[in-house]
Amino acid sequence: MRWLIRRVLKKGKGAVSYEEDVHYGDVLTIGRAADQAIFLPDLRVALNHARVTQLSSGQYKIESLILAGIRVNDAITYTTTADAGAVVAIGNTRLTLLAAPQDYDAAIEVSTLDKSEQKAESALRAKPTRLAQTGLSKRQPSWILFVAILVFALILPMIGHFVPGFGELLRRLPLLPSTQSWNPGTLDSAHHFFANDCTKCHQTAFLTVRDKACLACHANTAAHADPAKFNLPQLGNAQCRSCHQDHEGIRGLIRTDQRLCSDCHINLKARTKDASTFADVSDFGTNHPEFKVSLPEWDANGKFAPLRTTWAANLKEDSGLKFNHEKHLKPDGLNTPSGHRTLTCATCHLPEAGGAKMRPVNFDAMCHDCHKLGFDTLAPDREVPHGKVAAVAYTLNEYYAKVALEGGYADARSPDIVQQRRRPGSPPLSQQQQQEALAWARQRASEATDSLFTGKACSTCHKVTPPRTADDTWHVAPVRVSGVWYADARFTHAKHSTVKCEDCHDGAPKSTQSSDVLIPGIANCRTCHGGAKAKDKVATTCIACHDYHQSPTLKMGTL
Amino acid sequence: MHDSILTYAKSRYLWIALALTLASLIAYIAHDPGGPPNGGTWLGYTLGTIGAALIVWLMLFGVRKRNYRNSPGTLRGWLSAHIYLGTSLILVVLLHSGFQFGWNIHTLAFVLMLVVIFSGFFGVYVYLRYPNLMTRNRDSATRTAMLDEVAEIDQNALALADGIDPKIHAVVLRSIQNTRLGGGVWTQLRARDGSDIALDSLHASLAERDKRSEMKTTEMPTMFAMVDFLAGRATDKQGEAMRSLIDLISRKKGLATKVARDMQYQAMMEIWLYIHVPLSFALLAALIAHIVSSFFYW
Repeated sequence: MRWLIRRVLKKGKGAVSYEEDVHYGDVLTIGRAADQAIFLPDLRVALNHARVTQLSSGQYKIESLILAGIRVNDAITYTTTADAGAVVAIGNTRLTLLAAPQDYDAAIEVSTLDKSEQKAESALRAKPTRLAQTGLSKRQPSWILFVAILVFALILPMIGHFVPGFGELLRRLPLLPSTQSWNPGTLDSAHHFFANDCTKCHQTAFLTVRDKACLACHANTAAHADPAKFNLPQLGNAQCRSCHQDHEGIRGLIRTDQRLCSDCHINLKARTKDASTFADVSDFGTNHPEFKVSLPEWDANGKFAPLRTTWAANLKEDSGLKFNHEKHLKPDGLNTPSGHRTLTCATCHLPEAGGAKMRPVNFDAMCHDCHKLGFDTLAPDREVPHGKVAAVAYTLNEYYAKVALEGGYADARSPDIVQQRRRPGSPPLSQQQQQEALAWARQRASEATDSLFTGKACSTCHKVTPPRTADDTWHVAPVRVSGVWYADARFTHAKHSTVKCEDCHDGAPKSTQSSDVLIPGIANCRTCHGGAKAKDKVATTCIACHDYHQSPTLKMGTL
Repeated sequence: MHDSILTYAKSRYLWIALALTLASLIAYIAHDPGGPPNGGTWLGYTLGTIGAALIVWLMLFGVRKRNYRNSPGTLRGWLSAHIYLGTSLILVVLLHSGFQFGWNIHTLAFVLMLVVIFSGFFGVYVYLRYPNLMTRNRDSATRTAMLDEVAEIDQNALALADGIDPKIHAVVLRSIQNTRLGGGVWTQLRARDGSDIALDSLHASLAERDKRSEMKTTEMPTMFAMVDFLAGRATDKQGEAMRSLIDLISRKKGLATKVARDMQYQAMMEIWLYIHVPLSFALLAALIAHIVSSFFYW
């Protein structure tokens, strides 16, 4: 096998000449030893450094014979195959494998690097010694991050706002930021159902949320204040967003802080130039007037017109009812037609559905068991209906007319015709007998009516007055046995079910008069509730009991 | 006493930053927003404006650093203020947010800001500590001088090894080829001096040979066997050369370690900037998005 070994000789000023040599053998050895085919007198070359064999025409196998390996095409290797053109670098010698020229089986070019080439070579191979040389950059990632964040966090969502279809697409595609990524906090739970659509509230870019956006849904919400009565701009800019700011969590956007009210409800007299009659309030625990209780009263027409008056310990009321709590709440119980029973508050005072107020005391369900409305000892099961005075008269008239017609009424004081029992087939009553019986019936009904109203039945609980004229009926005074005592506050029994009834209504078990006001005043509430900054009590702000100037009639949408 | 960037001008900027922090804190505690504290109250807007202005000003440090003329204040003063006011930013922005966080761009801006600030803390640490370490490590030489010496030792070691045995020559050759000074980011940071395993084993094997000169095992590792053989039949001259070689190599190893450490210190002093600077631009973009989006959906 014929190898062509071409040595490149440099002659200064870039001139080059070649010296060709032939080597016979299958293997081309390279090293510093004298017996090597290519002899390289360089300390960086081992005695037997490497060998090259030809695999096929133009393809060579290069093997390193030392531990350090050999640099082929700028990569250190031990054994590799390479095509013609491969460069092997050993010390400062560069060996280039060539395609075999004519008359040769293989060829290699040997050139020695001069000083400048060596320098360039080592600079090329030098590893970076500073971070700046490693391709690490500050400027490029800065630009990429700056632009990427601006595009993804601002520009894309912004386009989504102006092009609703694109905004919808952004929302649906995962990982792409929509205007949702601008959402600074959870919406009020009531607003969650349109939380995906920012434009529901934020209708115009760079403009604050306008009232009309709120009114799209809240037109029928009770208006805060009657503009005729209150100067709305003075009540805090009078825009919805002035007080109601969303994105503050699901607990809502209704302000409950004390300052909402106390900012204005202090020095009201001076502020309104004596126009306001309200007392100053700034803190439930320390600065709140005694409650105004609504006591039952009726106007001249019998219409319920409660009297608002300041609560006091010895306050009396007239509910129109006579009732002795003490007698009914005997701890050792009462004997009743249905057996021995111990009555409690809850026997008569049951909460409404929802638990806020108490249901009215119901005669049929709560009193009737013991308090029968019977009117005739000969007919102990018969009773007059409760509630309507006129119905009492009808019932009695009809009952005694029936008795008079049927006869058999075993009262010695009644006429014979009423006492006689009429058998089937007996002749009909004569007209005179009929008139006599009817007269008796009317008389008896009248007596029974008087007895009911004046005796044991009605007047036990009610104030009754007799008929003023012959055509008049008995009168029963109107009654209020339940209702709202504090009309301007919200109170819920349900929220106070952890305390006993008598914790608040402490006079009830010993009350003998129905005129006792058993509703507690502010001192009772303050045993548990304090102002907003109370530390050892339930911190209670105005909104816990009061509405913010809520109008009973006006609506937001029609202001 | 040496005036560090932290104690510059009697820690003037520390006191300014503390005053800013304290004022923000007092305002936050005294402020009753009427609802949950948030960025939309007057105090929220105020703190937000201060925070945004601070971020922009802190970023101007990069401009000031490159501007050697016509700039107010010294660069050291700017850096001292940069550090202290940058630190106070954490609290100012926390109070601005009213501690409200979420999966949104506002919190993204906050997180980016924290990463930038904490990478800056690392920067302060290395700037205060590493120059000293670097001086001590270099021992009044320069890196170029040390690298030149390594190259010289390589030449001498090859000459010496060639005089001993071709196999030793190959080992030294390999060691030269494998000694890596410098490299990628990770290599620079880890201070791998690239001392060759073959060299270590050469060194170890000589020590081993000294220790058990009489012990013969049949299955000695090649390297041990070689050194054993060499040392065993070595003439006094060869043994002398062998020891000189090992001395040379040890010296080279020491130098290589020093150079690698020098690179490590320098890399540590620079690496944090590759996080600090790009993320501060990311923060600037997030800040713009935060402000614009807040007023876009006012």
